[in-house]
Amino acid sequence: MPSRQYLAWGTADNGRFNSLQRALKHPLLTKPAHPVDIFSVAVTDKQVLSASGAPSIKVHSTLDTEFPLVQSLDGAHTLGCHHIVTGAKGTRAISAGFAGEVKAWVCQDGHWSADQVVSANLTNVDAWAIALSEDGQYLAGVSQDGHVRVWDLNDNGTQIRDHETKGSFGTCIDLSPDGNFIASGHENGAVYIFKTEDGRMPFSLSGLVKPVRSVAFSPGGKILAAAGDSKVIVLYDTSSGLQIANLSGHSAWILSLSWSDSGEYLLSSSFDGKVKVWSIDTKSCVATHSETEKAVWSAKWLPKAHRSEGFATGGANRSLAFYREATGG
Amino acid sequence: MALRPISPQTALPDVAPDSSVRAYIDNALTTLIRELTSSPAESQPAITLRCRIVSANCIVNPINGALEAVQRNESYRTYSWPGNTAYESWKFSSGNNSCLVDDRSSVAGRKVDIKKATVNSVIDDLAYTIGVNRLALNVEAAGKGLVAGSLRLLRESRLILSAQSASEDNLIPRIQDTDEIDVSSARWVLVIEKEAVFHRLVRNNYHTRALAGKGILITGKGYPDICTRRFLHRTFEAETNRNSRRLPFYALVDGDPHGLTIMSTYKYGSLAHLHDNAGLSLPPLQWLGLKIADAADETQNSSGELSLSLTTRDRKKIVSMLRRSPIWASDGVEPEWCAELQRMLMLNVKVEIEKLYGDGGSLENWIDRKMFRQR
Repeated sequence: MPSRQYLAWGTADNGRFNSLQRALKHPLLTKPAHPVDIFSVAVTDKQVLSASGAPSIKVHSTLDTEFPLVQSLDGAHTLGCHHIVTGAKGTRAISAGFAGEVKAWVCQDGHWSADQVVSANLTNVDAWAIALSEDGQYLAGVSQDGHVRVWDLNDNGTQIRDHETKGSFGTCIDLSPDGNFIASGHENGAVYIFKTEDGRMPFSLSGLVKPVRSVAFSPGGKILAAAGDSKVIVLYDTSSGLQIANLSGHSAWILSLSWSDSGEYLLSSSFDGKVKVWSIDTKSCVATHSETEKAVWSAKWLPKAHRSEGFATGGANRSLAFYREATGG
Repeated sequence: MALRPISPQTALPDVAPDSSVRAYIDNALTTLIRELTSSPAESQPAITLRCRIVSANCIVNPINGALEAVQRNESYRTYSWPGNTAYESWKFSSGNNSCLVDDRSSVAGRKVDIKKATVNSVIDDLAYTIGVNRLALNVEAAGKGLVAGSLRLLRESRLILSAQSASEDNLIPRIQDTDEIDVSSARWVLVIEKEAVFHRLVRNNYHTRALAGKGILITGKGYPDICTRRFLHRTFEAETNRNSRRLPFYALVDGDPHGLTIMSTYKYGSLAHLHDNAGLSLPPLQWLGLKIADAADETQNSSGELSLSLTTRDRKKIVSMLRRSPIWASDGVEPEWCAELQRMLMLNVKVEIEKLYGDGGSLENWIDRKMFRQR
């Protein structure tokens, strides 16, 4: 299978767009989208939300090929924000800040505003990494002491699950798109899968040796991908808990994983600035991007447009970068 | 009658003319003796000190690069005798003891052991009240900072310190206004957080063998004392006045909340001595390391892990630092420091310098490479 090519589409810079040519020549722009590291990127069907170590959350439109900045949620998190997640419909977003606060946002006609009612219900939520169900109803979080909890946002934020693990720092969490499973990754290398129905662990997974930084369910929920400081991506079969494959090729800590809509490709980003695309079919790396030497904290696929797939990345170079599949690739 | 403080001077002299300190002490003693000799019913021996500004709104002064207070809301504290409690009496006497020191003796280590923090705080307030640097009171504990390398210190044309001899470190002395620091043969200054790292570098003669040429190694052994900061400030001033050559100052600290706070204390000053920072800051200080990315790079070449997990205390300290503008805020003077604190939280890791010198000369080579890249 030929290797695939993804062209840098352009880099968002406070709403200014740089043409394809310029972006290729100067992939790093001097004027960043955020003044400090971008730690988390969330995608809806029309927008990309980015959260950084600065107080504001930025919203860029993906409907326009120039990815203009359409909104800035100023003062969202005083000390900066480390996680932001959205449901598939893109009507609700949840963000978690460095001061320990969790906030809810609601979107109407492409415009985001603070959801005071839901936010008020989240004041006592103890979570570091967070995930939102496809319909936006359930928020899952894993805490610094390793508890995995679920809250029902349509029922006053009532906590409906609390799973205790072995107490290792919870670094990442994901909900399967069908809503059947929750997975969490921990600093001690442990990976857990819980059934949402009864909260039980159907099997224990052989985890990783070093801290896990990202866990992600495939669109069909059949595969869980996990990766972190051991620099390898491990694929688990969610029906048996067995390892299907190890994808190796990164030479630094892996920070982020994202599945394409079709489940054909897995995207990964690492601490040394590399972004890789993996074919699940062949279990091999089909594209590597190294536009920066600085950590890429978050990489996410964009909704498929015009039969070509694309993705967005954000990290320590403080810019959002957009890529699309090269035609004929 | 309580003593009123002398009106504050806006800029504190480095070492006050003895007269202002002596005048204050004479005045204070006269008043106290008068109070003590009057009839017990009427006597109210008391000393009122102007308190230093501790938790005010701070800014980094763009002119001198020092951390300073915005508002000067003065507050005063009166120490009277006999107090309502034994503790108050004790505090009164410690305040008095501080006053009774003449300029040839040092009180360091005498009464100071048991409630050192309290005495320290009283002494700081006393210096602030008189309007001098605490060095002028001769109460500064013996300096703890060490220096080695290409420098000479001249006092009245006499050489009082030469740190050039190999494999030898010297206690950083109390610098006087007329002292002359000669660093003309040094190519760099490395400010080191940890004493053990300093000793290792001195033992290996890094100050004469560095790739960047001869240099100066300095450590304040953790949080630096005023002598060490003053010494660095004067070295920087001497350099700026002398010629256009830029002597680079590098900081080598642990990549943890304490290491970054120590670096900030050297560069901008401390919150406890806001009024002194202008004479103690080191604006050109550059961050050599250690950063998480350094550990990540080095991990490629070694089998071991170079990072440690943060403790709950570390995480709390980082969050409280991030709240403290203007130095640590994301829109503050050091966005890269802020970003590094946030990266520590994200990855839940910290990095320590000792981890870099497991085998052979890796620490020295690493410093050579970093200095070369930052030049």
